[in-house]
Amino acid sequence: MPPQIVRLVLLTITIVGSYLVARFFLTPSSFGRYGWYRGEALEELSSRPRSFAGKKACEECHSDECLKLSKAEHHGLSCEGCHGVGQAHADNPDIKIDIRTFSECARCHEANPSRPKWLKQISTKTHYPGQKCTECHVPHQPQEVP
Amino acid sequence: MTEITNTVIEVLPRFEGYVYPNEAGPHPLWGFLIVLYPYITGLVAGAFIMASLVRVFKVRELEPVYRLALLTALSFLLCATLPLLFHLGHPERCLEIMMTPHFSSPMAMFGFVYAWYLMAVLLLELWFDYRQDFVRWAKVTPGLKGALYHALTVGVTDVSPAAVALDNKLGWILSIIGIPSAFLLHGYVGFIFGSIKANPWWGNVLMPIIFILSAVVSGIALCVFNYMVLTWIRRRPLDVRCLDAMGMFLFYALVVDAAVEGLDWLHRVYSAEEGFRVLQYMAREKLFYTLSIGQATIGTLLPVLLLGSLQLIRRSVPELVRKRMYFGSAFMVLVGVLAMRWNVVIGGQLFSKSLRGVMGYKLEFAGVEGWLMGAVLLSLPFIILTVCIKLFLSESLPVTEAAHAAGDPRLEPEEVVTT
Repeated sequence: MPPQIVRLVLLTITIVGSYLVARFFLTPSSFGRYGWYRGEALEELSSRPRSFAGKKACEECHSDECLKLSKAEHHGLSCEGCHGVGQAHADNPDIKIDIRTFSECARCHEANPSRPKWLKQISTKTHYPGQKCTECHVPHQPQEVP
Repeated sequence: MTEITNTVIEVLPRFEGYVYPNEAGPHPLWGFLIVLYPYITGLVAGAFIMASLVRVFKVRELEPVYRLALLTALSFLLCATLPLLFHLGHPERCLEIMMTPHFSSPMAMFGFVYAWYLMAVLLLELWFDYRQDFVRWAKVTPGLKGALYHALTVGVTDVSPAAVALDNKLGWILSIIGIPSAFLLHGYVGFIFGSIKANPWWGNVLMPIIFILSAVVSGIALCVFNYMVLTWIRRRPLDVRCLDAMGMFLFYALVVDAAVEGLDWLHRVYSAEEGFRVLQYMAREKLFYTLSIGQATIGTLLPVLLLGSLQLIRRSVPELVRKRMYFGSAFMVLVGVLAMRWNVVIGGQLFSKSLRGVMGYKLEFAGVEGWLMGAVLLSLPFIILTVCIKLFLSESLPVTEAAHAAGDPRLEPEEVVTT
């Protein structure tokens, strides 16, 4: 056989062999256990520290606010949806979570033609620009006036 | 802080008409980097087709650009997947696609097409073409460079006529395999878009063919550009016969490409399916500059007029003017094909699935999807090509018969060294 063919065959065998060896060592052992992903990824994700405390945790200390919220239009909203993640605050009340930027209101109420008409919408450019939403609205009781 | 953050995050109205909430994001899912991906892949396929004109179709006039075209294809192919890697955001995970290849994902299948084209076609063809040169250069070049040439021979130092004849034969076979492979490489990119049948801008059986034709056009234009720049840098005379031949092939490819793209539009206009009105609006408003000006006028009409007029009155046009016309046409074609990729990738994401609304996109300067990153990614293949030219088309290397036969334009025939 011509020398260049012999070398190329040897080179191909080396490359394919190296690939198979690399694949053997680099493919995670749990890959394919449940599907086309690492099976251990599920355990790793579930072992990560919790960030969200959940509405029940908020109710333990802020039952009055939760009660107000439950009777108003925003009753379906999660506390942490507006106030931010709260597991650290639930573990240690000294850690404040009030990181409101007031962009939360615009997330739902900024005018957008794709939103349903029953949802109250404003343009933040023209609707009292420069003022806080809470100066005129009470998020826990949207129908009330502060 | 909360006092000054009363200014709410501005949700810019970057859309008109009826747009679904998940479409009202600040920018489309696929940005400028995904525009570059088919652009670079197309340049690779086109440059290879250009090289195969010499090897397979025996177009002798193009011999001076044969090796340059192959090296261009290699340099751009090495960068073809970079836009995808940067877009995905986790380049350190790039090995995972190779370790756990998936056979049902169209994008993952591109990995096989890419690997086949790089490893089994382009590198092998280059090796068979350069092997006897490597042997010769390894003997006469000292230092690291000599060691590199020696390593590239892979220990095969036989340069007998029989061995060289076998190299040529195998290189020819690889070229023949390479043509459908180059079509597959870029046709596959077109297929990825064309197979998305839910999107009327993309879902089109002509898409792979349009991609292949525009790839051939852009590849030839890139070879014209590179050849002219290289001879200008080296202060060497241009082979005007070669340039005329490249201009002729560029013209024919451009005419066929324009005809098929025109046919595509004609079909869309005549069938006027449900998405036609929004596509019409896109062409008139959203993509006016990139489609009507960039792709149609700069990328097609002007080069067709320039190159077409040269086909008719070539002999009466002074050489200097001809060269400038070829260079201008090649540059305009390169810009036009980039605009075409933009129109496909970005255009397909600028209208709502409802077909009753359109979104907007502003290319940012910095950032992962910014045009600065795009410019860096487009410069990278040229940097690699410069290194390849220094190593494999260097003027200081002795020119062997093989190199001369393969179109190395560095020396006159009497200066050829017999191996």
